[in-house]
Amino acid sequence: MLARSLKIGIVCPYSWDTPGGVQNHIRDLAEFLITAGHQVSVLAPAIDEENLPDYVVNAGKPISIPYNGAVARVLFGPVAFARVRQWISNGEFDLLHLHEPAIPSISLLACWAADGPMVGTFHAAAKRQKIIFAIGPILEPAIEKLSARIAVSEAARLTLTDHLDTDAVVIPNGIYASRYKDGKPQTKWQGNTIGFIGRFEEPRKGLSVLLDALPVIARFAPDVKVFVAGPGDSTEVEKSIDPQLRHRFTFLGKISEQDKADFMSSVSIYVAPNTGGESFGIILAEALAAGACVVASDIPAFDDLLGHGEFGALFKSEDPTDLAKVIIDLLRDEKKRTELASAGRLRGQSFDWNVVAQQIFSVYEMSIVGGEKVKLASDTRSWNRFLSKDGK
Amino acid sequence: MTNWFLVAFVLLISLWYLSFLATRLDRLHHRVETSWANLDVLLQKRAAVALEIARSDIADPASSLLLTGAAYQARDADIKSRSAAESGLSGALGLLLEDSEHLSTAADNALLTELSALTDKIRVAIALHTDAVSRTQMVRSKFIVKLFRLAGTAPLPITYEFESDVL
Repeated sequence: MLARSLKIGIVCPYSWDTPGGVQNHIRDLAEFLITAGHQVSVLAPAIDEENLPDYVVNAGKPISIPYNGAVARVLFGPVAFARVRQWISNGEFDLLHLHEPAIPSISLLACWAADGPMVGTFHAAAKRQKIIFAIGPILEPAIEKLSARIAVSEAARLTLTDHLDTDAVVIPNGIYASRYKDGKPQTKWQGNTIGFIGRFEEPRKGLSVLLDALPVIARFAPDVKVFVAGPGDSTEVEKSIDPQLRHRFTFLGKISEQDKADFMSSVSIYVAPNTGGESFGIILAEALAAGACVVASDIPAFDDLLGHGEFGALFKSEDPTDLAKVIIDLLRDEKKRTELASAGRLRGQSFDWNVVAQQIFSVYEMSIVGGEKVKLASDTRSWNRFLSKDGK
Repeated sequence: MTNWFLVAFVLLISLWYLSFLATRLDRLHHRVETSWANLDVLLQKRAAVALEIARSDIADPASSLLLTGAAYQARDADIKSRSAAESGLSGALGLLLEDSEHLSTAADNALLTELSALTDKIRVAIALHTDAVSRTQMVRSKFIVKLFRLAGTAPLPITYEFESDVL
């Protein structure tokens, strides 16, 4: 780490109180940097002003807008812009770290308003959209101001090169691998078991693919059981399950971090049948670190994370037959399962915050080489200098 | 009357746009310079480490000779031949490290760890620099930038070709 302590401003585009990958990433990164002795301030929209950690500055109440096929809680508008500018000008930051600066939220506003060392992290992965022809010219001059761009996965990097014609350094999301490494196998989850974690009501999490695959799996492995963990109302889903198979399913609800580690190291197979919309797959990284044998759909992010099948088995996305085949093969072959799990465990370690934060930090170091602080862009514009001299 | 008003307005907008473009370009040039400074420092360090490796027990006399030559060339190269010289150094290091698994002493290992940490950083620095350069070249190729000579006297940045796969 750097010898001197830095003042770092991080901007979170999404509402701090809603759970999400970007928010978790920022929280962990901020806490890691604070522990390493740096001063960190996170600017984020928030609904509930009371329960914010003391390093978070509230930027205002978020607005819900439909974005990229989901509802995003973001924040923009003149009032928000004024707050962003105020935060930048009061903060005297050595560096700004903007997350998702290409979506309409406060990260973009900060990118627009600030001048100086800035790093941007791109999380989203999406197919090329036509609309980019219209918004590209608006985004480009802003994105160009970033001294370094980080993409969380190869998929996110491709999205960036496709849309904005600019390259990025790939640095994965971080996990606290040590928390997962020590998961204790619990007998209640062991045996011929399949585990699933996620908001199962969302179609893109792909629980339905697993449901469709189960009849075939049950025929070859009569004692197979499925454990589904994650927040949500299970009654609707349970109704849609074939009554003959219903007893094989156990819905555990939302489980704690410790349980999650135990759960992932207990089940025979951890399955992630996501159909898309995933740009990194933090849960897979955690499952690998916990030493689970992972089966995942071959969407680009997962394919990349699992090293094209080296650290976990892949099946053709949205294809229940292929999923059933892969799972049956693995349930029958314990040697293969242990092999995948131990390869995966090593892979999982490479996502540990100790490794990832170091990588992010070298990018910080490279961005602050000039030695200037972050300023408001308007302060450095020539006519403003002229005006303020005149006015006073 | 309104016509004059309109003309003044259009003029004002285009002036604003020109100034905006000039600021943008200025910032890009600045980015090219800082990212280059960054890369330059890292490459110098690498050449120094390479020299140390050449003097250590890791290298046999022949590869030591090769490495020393390459490291000096990389240090002395001017901006135009720098890419080639650095690639040469990468190649020499690559040749040596290919069969360096028999290493014994801790000092040798420390050198190699330092080298691999540097290599990781250099890879990032190259990505940042090439991006800055290609961005700048793109904006400078705009017709309006050429017409009003918004780039001023700043030299057109050179693309740095670096065989990163050798690293």
